[in-house]
Amino acid sequence: MLLLQSHSRFLLDTLLNRVQNVDKAVELDNHWVEFDDVRYHVQVTMKNPHIVLLSVSLPIPPPETVFLGGLPFGAIEAIKAAYGVVVQILDPPRDGFNLTLKLNLSKLPPDEAEYKHALLVKIASVREVVLGAPLRVVLKHLASRTVAPDMDQLLALVHRPKESFFLIPQADKVTVVFPMRFKDSIDTVLATSFLQEFVEARRTAGLNNAPLCMWSSSPPLELKGAPAEALSANAGFVTFVIFPRHVDGKKLDRTVWNLSTFYAYVSYHVKVGFFHLVASCSEGFMHTRMRRRVESLIQTLDRAKPDLEKSNKGLTSRSFKRLVCIENSNLNALTKHYFGRCADYKYAGLQSLKDLKDRRTNSYS
Amino acid sequence: MANTLRLYLTCIRNTLDAAMCLQNFPCQEVERHNKPEVEMKTSPELLLNPILICRNEAEKCLIETSINSLRISLKVKQADELENILTKKFLRFLSMRAEAFQVLRRKPVQGYDISFLITNYHCEDMQKHKLIDFIVQFMEDIDKEISELKMSMNTRGRLVATEFLKQFM
Repeated sequence: MLLLQSHSRFLLDTLLNRVQNVDKAVELDNHWVEFDDVRYHVQVTMKNPHIVLLSVSLPIPPPETVFLGGLPFGAIEAIKAAYGVVVQILDPPRDGFNLTLKLNLSKLPPDEAEYKHALLVKIASVREVVLGAPLRVVLKHLASRTVAPDMDQLLALVHRPKESFFLIPQADKVTVVFPMRFKDSIDTVLATSFLQEFVEARRTAGLNNAPLCMWSSSPPLELKGAPAEALSANAGFVTFVIFPRHVDGKKLDRTVWNLSTFYAYVSYHVKVGFFHLVASCSEGFMHTRMRRRVESLIQTLDRAKPDLEKSNKGLTSRSFKRLVCIENSNLNALTKHYFGRCADYKYAGLQSLKDLKDRRTNSYS
Repeated sequence: MANTLRLYLTCIRNTLDAAMCLQNFPCQEVERHNKPEVEMKTSPELLLNPILICRNEAEKCLIETSINSLRISLKVKQADELENILTKKFLRFLSMRAEAFQVLRRKPVQGYDISFLITNYHCEDMQKHKLIDFIVQFMEDIDKEISELKMSMNTRGRLVATEFLKQFM
């Protein structure tokens, strides 16, 4: 799986389960956390089994980001537009959450399975709808080649706890700048090399229509007005230039989701790449190849050892054995003594054996 | 590039050939002890002058000789941070398997990435020229492995980037 999915898998499963067993009253009270510190809470009570209370908590926004009543601007309109009558926004939201939605499952469109499923998937991607709302507003204006009237020159949008990325909306293009920060030094190095690959990949022929992509280690000129603390990034800055052709029609949703999770995408692949290549997972790719390398090196080292077994075999050649069988043990000891000294066993010819016999008779006489 | 590597390796090979004339030498101070003098450094008359062979600043090889032992320390080229990480990981992996290599030192000499310690006993049970072959092949393999690892890392990055950019098409 290379890409991140926009819906929360667990939320979708929970909703589907509720829809299928709407008559069965169950008590549900689930908390869970997703990447970038987005927390969910789902509650269903025995009394009203067709009502689902869904609360979402967003990452803590940095000071430069504009939040209205705990939500990014345009979020409430986006929720209303996306979900219609099925969803009601509760005000104030649950304690500790930014948004609480009351889903009325009995108001779901009846029977039309596909439409119903699509709506549930949409509810499960509430994160995309809420966090991506400001980006969607900007890109929608881009699609109609206008700039929203009350927009600043430089727009900061939250995408991680206390971190934001920047938009520079213009009539014919929107520049998106991501300051990339990583805590771990190895992650930083891997991410930097990955990000440079983005620039390289954009240059290949097949991706001519993709957004322009740039990487620089220092903040680009577009960020002149941004606060100083937002301009420190240890893995550099990535800039995408989005043109109207990237946001027309159905592409809008995909572009919004991909841009708002760009950091998560890179970070996810840095981790995966790191595990596959370097970390000590026993089945890892790196380890098998390193093992292979070790084995080949050990083989080279083994070759350096003189072959002891072979020379031993040479000493107990057949003619030699026959002699041992015939002669008495005293000669056996003598031959061992004699042959043990000559490394070259060619001496074990018949002539030297005769010689040996003579020696023996001499020593006995 | 390949040519300069060959020159570097030939130089190391010739130096090792000359330097590897080791003999058994029991310790002079403690009875019934026999230790590699290059590590113990008990008396200066048993040590020979160390030789440093450099290909460039980042890539060098130090050969220290004594009467009964020889120590070879290598510094591997690290062009960028990524190579640095890969080298560290790979050599750590090898050092952890030092007992399988017999001549590999568990810890590199300070300032170097990996060290070998060859004693007169190694020279007795292994053929000298094959032992030198091993050291040289080891150096070649490290270079090759690290550049391959880097390449596969970059390929992975390219794949990830292409997949992301395709989403906008």
